[in-house]
Amino acid sequence: MGRINWRKYGLLIFSLPVVVILFCASAFSSLLAPYDPYYLDVMYMLEGPSSGHLFGTDELGRDVLSRTIYASQISIVVGLIAVAIGMTGGTVIGVTAAYFGGLIDNLLMRLMDILFSFPAILLAVILMANLGTSILNAMLAIGIIFIPGFARLTRAVTQTVQRQQYLEAAICIGVSGPRLIWREILPNVFGPVVVEAAVAFSYAVLLESALSFLGLGAQPPEPSWGNMINTGRGFIEQAPWISFAPGMALFLCVFSFNILGDGLRDLLDPKLNK
Amino acid sequence: MIRLILIRLLTFGPTVIVASMVLFVAVNVVPGSASKAALGIYATPQAVKRFEHQHGLDRPLVIQYIEWAGKALRGNFGMSFQNAVAVGPEVKKRLPVTLQLAGMAFLIAVGLAISLGALAGFYHQRLPDVCITTIATLFGSVPNFWLATLLIYLFSLHLGWLPTGGFVPYSEDLVANLRGMILPSIALGVVSSGLLIRIMRTSLIEVMSAHFIETAQSKGISNFKLVIGHALRNALIPFLTVSAVEFGFLVGGVVILEDVFRIPGIGSLVLVGIINRDYPVLLAAAMVITMIVLVTNLLVDLLATIIDPRQVRARN
Repeated sequence: MGRINWRKYGLLIFSLPVVVILFCASAFSSLLAPYDPYYLDVMYMLEGPSSGHLFGTDELGRDVLSRTIYASQISIVVGLIAVAIGMTGGTVIGVTAAYFGGLIDNLLMRLMDILFSFPAILLAVILMANLGTSILNAMLAIGIIFIPGFARLTRAVTQTVQRQQYLEAAICIGVSGPRLIWREILPNVFGPVVVEAAVAFSYAVLLESALSFLGLGAQPPEPSWGNMINTGRGFIEQAPWISFAPGMALFLCVFSFNILGDGLRDLLDPKLNK
Repeated sequence: MIRLILIRLLTFGPTVIVASMVLFVAVNVVPGSASKAALGIYATPQAVKRFEHQHGLDRPLVIQYIEWAGKALRGNFGMSFQNAVAVGPEVKKRLPVTLQLAGMAFLIAVGLAISLGALAGFYHQRLPDVCITTIATLFGSVPNFWLATLLIYLFSLHLGWLPTGGFVPYSEDLVANLRGMILPSIALGVVSSGLLIRIMRTSLIEVMSAHFIETAQSKGISNFKLVIGHALRNALIPFLTVSAVEFGFLVGGVVILEDVFRIPGIGSLVLVGIINRDYPVLLAAAMVITMIVLVTNLLVDLLATIIDPRQVRARN
């Protein structure tokens, strides 16, 4: 006793600190960032990393570290809202499809299959071009992309629940439809959806950065990891540090949320961890 | 088996039609944005009206779709708003470039996945497995555009081994063509290998617990022969199906990487279409990318059915 079960909690132990740091960085950006992320200092343009500027300065003399910290806000907010949109939409569609079955199920899921087969970035890029480049639209576009994944998952879980005896018992004693979904089905859907949400969050952050990288997401001067990497690409020869800090932050964020998803999966579904 | 193949073939048509409808709606979701984008925000209402009439944009969306789809079936994707050049030939010219990039990247991803995944699966829950699983998650988490930036910095600028971008057709100079394609293929392939390594690993672990493996082991054949000759072949079938889905994901990545490496393929055409608000170009490029994905999924499903009908039946 007293020993940590590494096989069970190892992934969570590794990923949770990074996730906490990330959320803190975005919540307390103004306290943590050493400089104003918009402050131009023409005396210190394209300065390499030093004690004054840990990750150097960019082409306009702004502190790269401060901008990287502030950029976490956009990533976190876009990730959270996009996942919320995908989760809500997907759960509604998935549960509806499984609950009614038959033609409705077939129609909804075939449509989901087709949406699922589009490359996500292609759909995101097209939606952004049409809706207009703003953070709000990025959340919407990325959220829509997540709907099929969540729909498939919740449909599968709902169908498993429907075969259980306790559900038959509930139907027998005359539990109404909405109550059946709310009390018997949704609690079972919760676990798998949380696991999927962690992975989807990492993917949302990645997609938002990709959009910003292409100039279709957050617009300069607002800092986002994607647009910072894009700016850094132009100065890669003189100042590789401009794209290094945001790239590393993005990479760590995506990596730790993937690990978090794996850890949660091991914890919530021991069957998969054979 | 024949019934399964027929069903899959028959549903392909409707799938393509619905997919093209989704794209058409996604591109035209905001009415009037095409003309505004093409003419600028200071265009007079009369000019907008004339433009819309000239391009048939003032008609109902359904009619526009039917006309577009009918022409697109014959390879005619209309005229570019920007320079009144036919879009079809431009797409045809760019398609091989994208296919080469995606194909090379896919080979890298599959090569990494089969070798590393099989290794991890064989050493299940031992050190090589832990290391490879971690590497797979790292690979899967790298943003491809950042990896591309790092690769350019290291191999092009620092070491000077490879060009920073650009494209030479292979018909002109095969070596120069391959040199230009290596970095984008790596950036695209490595990221996709993350998931594939895990799939290969799980698949091999499953096969390794089968009875015929025990039989082979009890006959005393070497580990190498066991994995290569017996386990790997059986583990490849489920791997194949997933890798096709991953190929679709990979093809989407060309939109970003062709931009980073200045490769004139379909992916960069999507961005050209967006930046110029040239909707016929955007629609054609997006449709071609989607078709690549749908056709690969179809082919792999058919192949999987022929190799092992049980798998497909179990899935449905």
